[in-house]
Amino acid sequence: MANRSRDGMPPGALPMLILGILQSGSLHGYAMAQRIHVLSSEVLAVEEGLLYPTLQKMLLKGWVTAEWGISETNRKVRFYRLTPQGRAQLKAELAGYDRVTQAIQDVLRTA
Amino acid sequence: MSELWRRIHYLIYRRRLDAELDADMQFHREMAARAGRSNFGNTLRMREQAREAWGWTWLDNFITDCDYAVRALRKSPGFTLAAVGTLTLGIGAVTAVFSVVNAVLLKPLEFPDPGRLVVVRETEPKIFGPGVQEPVSYRHYLRLKVESKTLEDAAIFQDSAVSVSPNGDRPEIVGGVTSSPNLLRVLGVQPFMGRDFVDGDAEGSTNGTAEVAILSYDGWKDLTGGDPKAIGKKVWLSGGPVTVIGVLPREVKLPQIAWGDKITGSQGIGSGEIMVLMPFAPNDWDLKADTGNFNYKMIARLKPGVAMAQANAELNTLQQAYVKSAHLPIQVGAVVTPLAQDVTKGISSALWMMLAAVCGVQLIGCVNLANLQLARAVSAERETAVRAALGAGRGRLLQARLAESVVLAVAGGAGGVALAYGGMRGLLALAPANVPRLNQVHMSWTVLLFAAALTIAAAVGFGIVPALKNMRVRPETALRANTMRAANTRESRRTRSMLVAGQVTCTVVLLLVTALVLRSFSRLLGEKLGFDASHLTMVVVELYAPQYAGKLKNVQAVKLRFADRALEALRDLPGVQRVALTSTVPLTGENWVDDLIRPDHPVPEGQRPPINVRWINPEYITTMQVPLVSGRNITGEDRENPYVVVISERTAREGFGDENPLGKKIELDLPGVEKSPLATIVGVVADDRINGLKDTASMLYAPYWLYTPWTLSFMARSAQPADTLMPEMRGAIWGVDPQVAIPVLKPMDEQLSDSVATEQFQTLILGCFGAAALLLALVGIYGVLAYSVSMRTQEFGIRMALGSARGALMGLVLKQAAVPVFIGTAAGLAASFAAMRWVRSLLYQTSVLDPVAIGGSLLLLLGASLLAALMPARRAARIDPALAIRNE
Repeated sequence: MANRSRDGMPPGALPMLILGILQSGSLHGYAMAQRIHVLSSEVLAVEEGLLYPTLQKMLLKGWVTAEWGISETNRKVRFYRLTPQGRAQLKAELAGYDRVTQAIQDVLRTA
Repeated sequence: MSELWRRIHYLIYRRRLDAELDADMQFHREMAARAGRSNFGNTLRMREQAREAWGWTWLDNFITDCDYAVRALRKSPGFTLAAVGTLTLGIGAVTAVFSVVNAVLLKPLEFPDPGRLVVVRETEPKIFGPGVQEPVSYRHYLRLKVESKTLEDAAIFQDSAVSVSPNGDRPEIVGGVTSSPNLLRVLGVQPFMGRDFVDGDAEGSTNGTAEVAILSYDGWKDLTGGDPKAIGKKVWLSGGPVTVIGVLPREVKLPQIAWGDKITGSQGIGSGEIMVLMPFAPNDWDLKADTGNFNYKMIARLKPGVAMAQANAELNTLQQAYVKSAHLPIQVGAVVTPLAQDVTKGISSALWMMLAAVCGVQLIGCVNLANLQLARAVSAERETAVRAALGAGRGRLLQARLAESVVLAVAGGAGGVALAYGGMRGLLALAPANVPRLNQVHMSWTVLLFAAALTIAAAVGFGIVPALKNMRVRPETALRANTMRAANTRESRRTRSMLVAGQVTCTVVLLLVTALVLRSFSRLLGEKLGFDASHLTMVVVELYAPQYAGKLKNVQAVKLRFADRALEALRDLPGVQRVALTSTVPLTGENWVDDLIRPDHPVPEGQRPPINVRWINPEYITTMQVPLVSGRNITGEDRENPYVVVISERTAREGFGDENPLGKKIELDLPGVEKSPLATIVGVVADDRINGLKDTASMLYAPYWLYTPWTLSFMARSAQPADTLMPEMRGAIWGVDPQVAIPVLKPMDEQLSDSVATEQFQTLILGCFGAAALLLALVGIYGVLAYSVSMRTQEFGIRMALGSARGALMGLVLKQAAVPVFIGTAAGLAASFAAMRWVRSLLYQTSVLDPVAIGGSLLLLLGASLLAALMPARRAARIDPALAIRNE
């Protein structure tokens, strides 16, 4: 995908981030992109071209579901919500992520 | 909810879901625009990427490709028609044959746990011949059933046709079975109405006059009109009222198994659908005989987990132990056969052969299509090259090229299924009556699935070679090259030649098998019957009525009286010259086989020659026109001194060797008579093939006044056409007694052709397939050569301009044809050699190396190939060099 370097998003991180921010409640696509951008102190930018294919894959995996809601601008729009499977997946990914970062830090510290 | 299910859900609702995704993205963009950003990517591409997540892109692509293929095919209707036609015929024929194979051979029998059902037969190498299986004796059955630890239960039964009539007159014969009371329990089925037999049911039922009966579903429909209150009601069987105690469910068809390897028994009477089951009661001699009376079909159920070989070994051990302990003079063994295999014994190899043959034809047809596709692929090369140059992947290109084959195959497959539906009916009409389970042949899901698989196989089969070849072309070459030259590269010519060689291989095998079967059939038909079957009309009469019941004291006199009156009535018919009477319907196999016992020359039991006993009237020999070799015929005057018999030459040879049999005495085993009387041989007649065309039989002809059978076959010799004679014969018989049944009434010629129905069917079908294969191969050879000549027009023009002779050009083309034909023929001969193992069992007295069959089919193939090659060769020779060179 284009602009991988510019948006600062490590490959494969997006699903985990989406799962993470959906923990606190359902969101529509734009809000997700916004929140990731803001929460990362504007380091991470979510491209539309990456966000929507990822969301479709997550729908397919059954990690999230989509339902209609009303946006803050009073538009009918789909909100994505975490499923129990999604929660389990997040837990698994976080555990894996923690282990890997810990391992990387260990290596860097002793090197 | 699984992932697969979500994928399918998406596929079904994709229109709505895609719209929702679009709305999401639209909203996103609007919000971003508000926030002051406006650098969106390619929205179409983004949407596509998002949708790809669901994994249905290939389907979209495929639909697009098919759509394109349909449009391309519409532009060349000739090719499309030829391809779809070939496929329709091929798939239709294969599917039709498969539907028969599936119903007859593949579908498991409709009994619970059918794999545990077996047929048990006895062997006795000296009496029956080595390896020959025959039905079991009642005593041996009882013993095996009790002693065996591998059999859960075992039942015996006999086919016994019964006569049915509403009021006793003019009865019809239907199929019936007399069985031990546990037959249904062994099979694992129950009546859906009423009850099963219990042990007491058989009391008082001898000679087929049972007091209770279970009806099959067909019997219930036929005999009671499907009466829901049929239980407890009476039906008229064999002239007497019988109480219905049960009705079998529709799906239960009692298995029709052969008696044994030689004895056919039913004589074609009442061999149709079984309608009635009656309880079996053993006769006195059933309970006594240990060395004879092998009269019962035995079906057993193995205990769970018992292997066929285990049961076989155990039963043989039990038999041998019994022979030893009871000091039997014979050596009985046992053979256990799976029921499913036994039911189809006579026909399975012929059916498999048919399926193989029709698949061969389909293969040859596919090769033709592959060749046509190859030619088309050349013109598509430029297009493929353009696509490749624009960045299409190999997989995507392959798919695009295959789409055309898929479209053709699907059209052919649909047509094929329709054709198979008709073909199935045709096969059923042609098939001999003895093929089991034919009534179960129909368009089932299995058959449709098979047709679908066949369609896919065909699409890939004839599409993949051209498609792959197409892939290998480098874009720059294809874009630059002249189509004609590209089409005729050495490599593409080799591919086409290889395909033709494959085709010839298949054709050689098919032609050889066809030729062998034809030779065998003509040899069979060429056998001298030994009697004159023309102008002979047969009426078979069954004496199943109370006045002929076996328990009556004077039944022999009653039967004899009927026979005498019937003979007289038939003789009185206009135009009838002579009337013969015999106890076994001619050309239906062995039926009544006894040992030849000579008091002057005792031979231990088991080494006595077997004889086929026929109870005949004196006119039999003269009516059938069997030549008298020595001595005299039986005459009417012999009634005074009735114990006289006539034997055939083979009996004389086997029983008397060099001695003169005339005047010798033999024991005559008369049913129901304790002490066999001695009879004098008064004459020897020539051998004939009265049991069937395949072999002569050793005969013993005894007069009908000594014993008159319940099944009487009358044969009238008359100059009158059979069509006029037959109703008159029926009238004459019913004039004597309207209560007897007439199960068979037909000209002997017809009986003769019916007796070879299986061989005829096999020959006809294989002949059709062989001819189709040859024709397709011809088209293939012609097509490839004609195409190649048209591509090389310019080259030939140049050659000619440079002084090449026309004959040399023709030779060039013929040589091109000769290579694949010779390679294919050699490969075909090798393949045939491997296939001969299966063919051998179908042949009658014909060696698989029959020189006429091999030589004939090779000559036919080479001649036909030459013919197919000559036309394009002549065209090459007639090319006008001036025109050819100018015409780029």
